[in-house]
Amino acid sequence: MTSLFGIPLDQILVALVIAVGVAFAVLAWIGVRNPLMVRMGLRNAGRRKTQTVLIVIGLMLSTLIISAAFATGDTVAYSVTNAVYRSLRNVDVVVALAPDRAGGLESLDDSHADTLRRALASETNVDGVTGVSQVRLPVVNTGRRLSEPAASLVGLDAATIAPFDVLTSVDGAPVALGTLPADAVLITERLATDVDARVGDRLTMYYENRPFEVTVAAVILDNRITAPGAIPTPGGGPGGGSNSPTGGMVTTLDRLRQVTGREGRISFIAVSARGAARDTLEVTPLVEKRVTEILNASAAPMRVVTTKATAVSTAELVGSLFVTFFVVFGLFSIAAGIMLIFLTFVMLAAERRSEMGMARAIGMQRLHLTQAFIAEGMAYNVGSALVGALLGLGVAYGLVTVMGRLVARFGLNIEFHFNPQGFAIAYCLGVVITFVTVGFASWRAANLNIVRAIRDLPEPQPLRGRDRGFGGLMLATLGVAWYAAWIAALGIAAIVVSLAVTLVGTFSTPIAAIEVAAIALLLVVAWPAVRGLGARFDGLARSAKRHRNGGGWAVWMLMVGVGSIGYGGWATQQAFVYTSGVTLVLLSVAMLAVYFGAASRPAFTAASLALIWFWLLPLPFSLFIEGAESWTDPLNSLARLLGLQHPAIAGSVEMFFVSGLSITGAATLLVIFNAEVLLGALRSVSAIFGGVAPAIRTAIAYPLASKFRTAMTLAMFTLVMFSLVVMATLNHNFTQIFLGSDATGGFAVYVQGNANNRIPDLRAALRGASPDPLAGVSAVGTLTSKRARVRVGGQPPEAAGNYQVQGADDEFLRSAVFPLASRAAGYDSDRAVLEAIRRDPTLAIVDEGRLAIAATSAAGTFGPPPGAQQAFRLTRTLDELKAQPWQPLPIVVRDPAGDTDVPLQVIGIVRREATSVINQWNAVIVNGSVMRSQFAGGEAETFYLATSGSDEASAKRAADAVESALLERGVQATSIRERIEDRAGQANAFQMLFQGFMGLGLIVGIAALGVIAFRSVAERRQQIGMLRAIGYTRRLVALSFFLESSFIALTGIGMGLVLGAALSYNLMTSPTFTNGTPLHFAFPWARLFIIVSIAYGASALMTLIPARSASRVPVAEALRYNG
Amino acid sequence: MPDPIIDVQDLTKVYDSGAIRVEALRGVTLRVERGEMVAIMGPSGCGKTTLLNCMSGIDDPSAGTIHIEGVDLVAMDDDRRTSYRAKRMGFIFQFYNLLPVLNAVENVELPLLVSGTRPAEARSKALAALERVHLAEWRTHRPAELSGGQRQRVTIARALVNDPAIVWADEPTGDLDSHTADEIMSLMQALNRDHQQTFVIVTHDPGIAARCHRTVHMRDGLIEREDVRRD
Repeated sequence: MTSLFGIPLDQILVALVIAVGVAFAVLAWIGVRNPLMVRMGLRNAGRRKTQTVLIVIGLMLSTLIISAAFATGDTVAYSVTNAVYRSLRNVDVVVALAPDRAGGLESLDDSHADTLRRALASETNVDGVTGVSQVRLPVVNTGRRLSEPAASLVGLDAATIAPFDVLTSVDGAPVALGTLPADAVLITERLATDVDARVGDRLTMYYENRPFEVTVAAVILDNRITAPGAIPTPGGGPGGGSNSPTGGMVTTLDRLRQVTGREGRISFIAVSARGAARDTLEVTPLVEKRVTEILNASAAPMRVVTTKATAVSTAELVGSLFVTFFVVFGLFSIAAGIMLIFLTFVMLAAERRSEMGMARAIGMQRLHLTQAFIAEGMAYNVGSALVGALLGLGVAYGLVTVMGRLVARFGLNIEFHFNPQGFAIAYCLGVVITFVTVGFASWRAANLNIVRAIRDLPEPQPLRGRDRGFGGLMLATLGVAWYAAWIAALGIAAIVVSLAVTLVGTFSTPIAAIEVAAIALLLVVAWPAVRGLGARFDGLARSAKRHRNGGGWAVWMLMVGVGSIGYGGWATQQAFVYTSGVTLVLLSVAMLAVYFGAASRPAFTAASLALIWFWLLPLPFSLFIEGAESWTDPLNSLARLLGLQHPAIAGSVEMFFVSGLSITGAATLLVIFNAEVLLGALRSVSAIFGGVAPAIRTAIAYPLASKFRTAMTLAMFTLVMFSLVVMATLNHNFTQIFLGSDATGGFAVYVQGNANNRIPDLRAALRGASPDPLAGVSAVGTLTSKRARVRVGGQPPEAAGNYQVQGADDEFLRSAVFPLASRAAGYDSDRAVLEAIRRDPTLAIVDEGRLAIAATSAAGTFGPPPGAQQAFRLTRTLDELKAQPWQPLPIVVRDPAGDTDVPLQVIGIVRREATSVINQWNAVIVNGSVMRSQFAGGEAETFYLATSGSDEASAKRAADAVESALLERGVQATSIRERIEDRAGQANAFQMLFQGFMGLGLIVGIAALGVIAFRSVAERRQQIGMLRAIGYTRRLVALSFFLESSFIALTGIGMGLVLGAALSYNLMTSPTFTNGTPLHFAFPWARLFIIVSIAYGASALMTLIPARSASRVPVAEALRYNG
Repeated sequence: MPDPIIDVQDLTKVYDSGAIRVEALRGVTLRVERGEMVAIMGPSGCGKTTLLNCMSGIDDPSAGTIHIEGVDLVAMDDDRRTSYRAKRMGFIFQFYNLLPVLNAVENVELPLLVSGTRPAEARSKALAALERVHLAEWRTHRPAELSGGQRQRVTIARALVNDPAIVWADEPTGDLDSHTADEIMSLMQALNRDHQQTFVIVTHDPGIAARCHRTVHMRDGLIEREDVRRD
């Protein structure tokens, strides 16, 4: 893996190393200038061991998540890259028939290979060119009654294959092809396993329904040449892309041609670059360029279809995508981790408030206190980041182990691997995040009033201005502007350093090192000048500090919010900026209201309710009003009244994170500001709780008295629960959509024929079989496929894309139940559409994936999927088709082997959920007569059986019976329901894996509860003594502590559940999000129950320990205790 | 002494931390009559607070017996002893030990709730107790919003709210100025006189001790002498 978010890892690492250097330089500077501060910080770190452990756990979690994401991505990239090397061996460039040219798999011949070989003979970078022929056919090990319906038979040229190093026995020895007896084959390890074949066994293979007996001469390793379907590799390649890997048999080209009767034909040409398998990546592009030049110069119908370099870079891209995916969805946990770090240091500051007041009283500056805290924070930080990064590797190991089991069925071997670069980035990022958070928390903690601190009195309400007039507010705004100027200056400095880092790129060259040294020198030289400048404005700074207050910050928030609304809504149409602006404005209005004297509770209640409403729109309207799904932007609706509405705004995956933070933040404010009212009710009915009422009383009182720490913990818990609930609900519903009963298409069994043993009529082929495989089968539908060039009517031929055309027979069209996303005008029902195709060979339906992609949809934002440029696509979007009745859409299909355009009219669009499991239904589906008349009868058949019984057992019985009866013809039959469940099982397993990763954030919430609970026991030792003295039993004390943590955990869990469910409902009922697919929204109750149980169970366990220790506090000792 | 409410015999308390062994009480015998107000005095470290803790059941003696109202406190398990404290004892501490997160009335009603009184009844008794210490109008204030004297009066209200047989006070005026200390002592005397509740007060202040019926002087874990007020 070489990049993340498109930024080269080298550059990220250099930037982070500089940032870590700055952090350590600050620490060193403190150590030199004020060694006492460092000593104070370090000694504080060692004061309470349990607390230190919890702090370290809290600090390491962000690093752990980042490290796990990197190691997972590295593992995937490494494993897939390894698979590429193992699969391609010395095959560096593959040349095959150009996709837009006529012909099937065997359209090239020996002369093409000879021409290329001659042209490359003088190339020093090339050491081999060979033609390869391959066919798929069934093979049976009669002796053991085992078969493989779709094995590959590969013909190789013994004279030219050696440089490719593809024939290797399972113990690593090279195997010669030239000496192979006429009736012998080499079989690959996978095929040997599948049919339990050993050296000397006789196998029967069938080609065009004729049997051929062969003897196993040796068992060799699977690779892309010997078993094209065995090892999937990104970037495709010959025979790639199969989801069900099968083994292969290798023989000579001559022997294969005797079987197929296709004299002189080959499937593709392989070119080997000089060098070992892993050493040719730099040479491959040169070889590819040269081969392309040769192909362009000769008018041969060939082109380079894949190279090893492409496959390896695709593998690395896959790894990079994994890291990006895990990091983006780990952001919730990272955010919770940052809150925990902040909370931890705020609590430490609260614990030492009177000490700090005393220290300030005897002459310590605020900066000294900040320094002591930073020193302490760094003491925790350095070790915890390392532990976190190492544990991240452990977590990644667990994740990839599970992942390895899931993908093993696809033949991909996942091997744990991590790149030291990713590990270093995770460590540095952990150190930097903690340093910045601790720095801010320390600065905040040091801003205390000495007298209040010593007497442990509460600080005044930060939002209330002494001068509540506009003049005072303006002064406060200017006071804050001083800080804003500093923030802007820091931002500019960061941009300058980033630019410098971009220029530097890497430490690997001496010039880069010189540049880094120059930047460092510049900073050293510039620092005194910056300090001098600061001193010059000392008076201004003091004045700014005197006037700065919450009102000033609110004005700045308001200005930034309004600016963001304008910029995001009207200038750039960025949802992230626009919605963040609205959030800032609403909060700032509440802050200003409090500044001018309004009570905090109503002001923040109104603001948080407005925020929740804004973020959860169109709820609640969408529940009651049809068409209210588009009511998501009240601000724009107001603007529309004035004719000033903004264009449609677009958001991407970041909106998930932004909405999560905003909604949970607003909900936390709502709960915290109204908790006393809500809990007053609970208090008034506390009598019903009998003997535990006093415990409830204190359990509620303490969290309410410490609003800040309660709010932080609540926000952490809510945020993590919210992310888990949203992911679980979306996954569940998407699984339902795509793996529901619609995916059966009205059939029970799917039968795939073999292109080399074609069965035109399944009923005829099964006639006479006993017992009758079609007993209980009510219909047998047939689709005949052909790869075609397809374009929209009116477009020039060169605009055509590749796509499959399926000719459906009468029975298929009568029996299929395809839900349509949209129908052309004049067709009353989905059935009417299929009936029309049955009668009219000029009509067709296509799958939803062929529609144009709206620019504002998720797919439009991410761009078309890989390879989409080559595929045919309509010019209308689903929204456009749904907006008003539409006339049939003209398209033109053409058999690449012929030159006849076939005009068709698309009258229906098949929903995604119907085509998600059976790939053959992702096609232009036409009347079967079109296939016979215009596509030479097609290439291969698939059959679909409808059973009279609806039970799964009868479908399985039918599938087994068909497969058994047509064993020799390479037929594969499966129950469609079983296939759906299999896919759903895989999807669920991946979802669970992913949710497990996101669940790491729960550890943050639980650690936060632990930190608070342990801290509370220490803080309230004397109070515990008093409670025990006046009659609290041990059990009651423990219960009080336990309920206190439970109050926070359960509230967070409840809020996360409600908010997550509401957002999920909005997303899944939004036509934009689901691309118009209708949905029966459902909650995954079982999974949510598991998530809630784990969350609460783990937090309960965590708080049991401090609760128990609170109950065991010796009363007399505690009463003597004085902090 | 026919009916002692507190009867302590040969009480010993040893703190043994392995390296250090401290004999805080070395065989103390003490009897207190119902309705008596007794002061315990002595230099720091003489064992007076340890004696009070042991007698009130918040600390375990190493040896000896303690009978409160004829009940053997040492023989009770922790739960029974706690329950007994909730119903029959009240506590006043030097540093008030009020819960900072509860307001005055909530602090006062806490012992009642613990002993199973219904919340409404507990609230009315707590308000009455605050009335007795002249703090009814401060009932919704939290400790941080009260002066030292007011906090101690809330503590006294809390100690008296369950109508205890014995009130234990450990340096009740130690954190107060002399004027407030005088007020608090007068209040305790009035309560003792009017409700016949037994007060055991640990103090350094001879002025406080002088206002009690009897003063027990301790030194080195033993009772050195007793002075009985004659009036």
